[in-house]
Amino acid sequence: MNYPIWDVPYLGVTGIIGLISCFHICIVNFAVGGGMYFAVTEQWAYKTNDEGVYDFLKRLSKFFLLLTTVAGAVSGIGIWWAVSLGNPNSIHTLIQTFTLGWAEEWVFFIAELATAFVYYYTWGKISKEQHLKLAWFYAVFSVLTLVIINGILSFMMTPGAWLTTKNWLLGFFNETYWPLLFMRLVVFAAAAGMYAFVVAARIQDEATKTKVLQYTTKWFIPLFIIGPLVGFWYFKNLPPDAVTNVMTGIQASGVGNFSILARTFYLSLIMTGTILVFAFVGPYLNPKGFSFHAAVLFLLCGLFVTSIGEFTREMLRKPYVIYGYMYSNGIVKDKVPELNKVGYLKSSKWVHDGMTPVEIGESMFKSQCLMCHTRHGYRSMERLLGERDEQSITAFLQMLQMTDKEKNPYVGIMPPLVGTPDEVAALATYLSALTGTAANPPVKQTAALPYKPVLVK
Amino acid sequence: MMAQMLKNKVYGWLDQRFALGTMQELAGKKTVPVHRHSIWYYMGGIAVMFLIIQVLTGGLLMLYYVPEISAAHASIVTINSQVDFGWFVRSMHSWGANLMILALFVHLFTTYFLKAYRPPREITWLTGLGLLVVVFGFGFTGYLLPWDEVAFFATKVGLDIASQVPFVGETIATILRGGADVSQATLSRFFVIHVFLLPLALVALMGVHMLMVQLHGMSRPDSVKDQAVREEKFFPTFVLKDLMVWLLLFNLLAAFVSFYPWGLGPEADPFAAAPAGIKPEWYFLGMFQFLKVLPAYIGPFEGEHVGMALFALIGLAFVVIPFWERGQNPVRKMWAELFGSVILFLFIVFTVWGMLL
Repeated sequence: MNYPIWDVPYLGVTGIIGLISCFHICIVNFAVGGGMYFAVTEQWAYKTNDEGVYDFLKRLSKFFLLLTTVAGAVSGIGIWWAVSLGNPNSIHTLIQTFTLGWAEEWVFFIAELATAFVYYYTWGKISKEQHLKLAWFYAVFSVLTLVIINGILSFMMTPGAWLTTKNWLLGFFNETYWPLLFMRLVVFAAAAGMYAFVVAARIQDEATKTKVLQYTTKWFIPLFIIGPLVGFWYFKNLPPDAVTNVMTGIQASGVGNFSILARTFYLSLIMTGTILVFAFVGPYLNPKGFSFHAAVLFLLCGLFVTSIGEFTREMLRKPYVIYGYMYSNGIVKDKVPELNKVGYLKSSKWVHDGMTPVEIGESMFKSQCLMCHTRHGYRSMERLLGERDEQSITAFLQMLQMTDKEKNPYVGIMPPLVGTPDEVAALATYLSALTGTAANPPVKQTAALPYKPVLVK
Repeated sequence: MMAQMLKNKVYGWLDQRFALGTMQELAGKKTVPVHRHSIWYYMGGIAVMFLIIQVLTGGLLMLYYVPEISAAHASIVTINSQVDFGWFVRSMHSWGANLMILALFVHLFTTYFLKAYRPPREITWLTGLGLLVVVFGFGFTGYLLPWDEVAFFATKVGLDIASQVPFVGETIATILRGGADVSQATLSRFFVIHVFLLPLALVALMGVHMLMVQLHGMSRPDSVKDQAVREEKFFPTFVLKDLMVWLLLFNLLAAFVSFYPWGLGPEADPFAAAPAGIKPEWYFLGMFQFLKVLPAYIGPFEGEHVGMALFALIGLAFVVIPFWERGQNPVRKMWAELFGSVILFLFIVFTVWGMLL
């Protein structure tokens, strides 16, 4: 809890991380799925000795190289930057737990990047057999990066036996490792097909255009049929509470019940279905009439589905960042009773003697709420608290401390509020001052904390 | 082999009964010109797609909706919070209605500016105008059905405005209300109009409209009339493209539904004071705003009467335009373009103005 706090007004930490991640995942799709697409398609071109298909692959690889090595690498670093600042406690845990895993990830990533460059710059300079081997090398390295990162990402949703043994391999090969790996492979391969449609739509020679578009549809459609099956497999292995959160939204679409999870989930199902039909009636049945603009719109739909799918997957983890271990605000679940007893801010470096209740409350807000909420922007406290005065905010916060679902409907959606009654009161004072519902303007007075805070030098 | 035989058998059976071969032959002859304005040819199809969604979702909503003032609001609450996927179907219906009206507006104005109303397409144009009026009717009557505060007072205001139409306004408003006030009679009448009368009118008008489109084909705008443009087959080429556009817009609708589910205000209380800032839906907002800014009296006439008369004249102008501007007189063409541009400009300006207030 003593990492510096990153306060992003209006957009919020979640907003920043979400935006960068959505952009990055759209590129990563192509980086990994493209590897498989290049290898299989070049194999086909080699077998049929079709120069038209080779030309298409060469053009696609230029687009691919630019997109994955520039936009992909920059946004990848962006994620590290945002997550390290936004949720340092979780990154700390992930780095410590999977040190070897991260190291392997970087080895495969460097190999992937190097092969991508060699693949593009050796078109026409080495034999077709050698170039085909390079395509397969790239495919293997890119899939290996997924094999590693998938273990860490799936661990965050289902840490499994790691929770009790702290054995990193047990955490790595957790319950959702295999279904998520196959789901991602399918989604990434499909995304590569969508990128390929964009480049194929611009092929001048009509016969080659028809051939490549119909081939890519054949690559694409089966994946959309396998996708729901592996998706169901993944769903079956999720913690029951996470599944309940999705199901809540079947009946209601209100605010505060996490129905957004269900809504984005249904939207991704709808769009997946329409993309499938789109591929059939567009590039497959009418390849000559399939324009570049249509391909771009089609790709945007696909990338949108990917983004909301990732959003849903990330949100499923709530209220945890590492399921069953660490809450999304970085508080370790097992430490909650102790922190409630001795005080959440007791060991904080960000409080000091002489702070007013509002300042203490703000420290509480920054440490426990800011990860998911903002003051006036995304998931704004001002909007969510509405007209509540200090008294009703206090009652609401006290409810957030309860762990019984009957008494606190936010159990399973939000982390429990942690702190002593005085800290909770200070947070209520701050929030009522924030929303303008405070009975009296905050008075400069020293807060009565039950412990001596550490003085910041 | 077996599959092919089965396919032939099924096709043969259907062909005998529905003359598929003849239809295929007809469809094969129909072509669509390809030029820089071709994109506007998709607008009618888009409106049809949204209409299909309206019919399907409207039918589902009727399973739970109760057209009775003490139960209407509660039935919508049930749909929104207890029926599986109820909120989804209702949001599809409400968002779909708005997108359909938007598509129709775009269709109307692009048809107008591309001069597709000219002979021999007068009936296509007139039935199109009729369809727009019917769709406005759907919007107006459907808006009251949830019986929430805003719907109640917006309908009250809307009917008061309608009663200002010279000569017939009061009679029409009284018939629609079923009396002097918005009450159970109004709700019952609006429900019947929404689910029975307007659909009948829609089917009739749309049948004629589609028949005319098939008979006369796609019109070519002046700018490409004398150019040699490529023609593509309506079936399957244009139909397949149409399907792609439908799918894209269906995705847009699904996104609206998912991210902004349609809300519901507090139940209407006819004895309460109207909440401040009552506004109609966006497609009536321009007219509403225009009436609002008119002075109480213009000369010896009431401002609202003048406004309603002006709307009637504009409507009349749209009706007579295909008989007046027939593509033979450049001056008339210029006036028609100017008239359309002014109306479109004013519609946008007053709508945005109304939204900002």
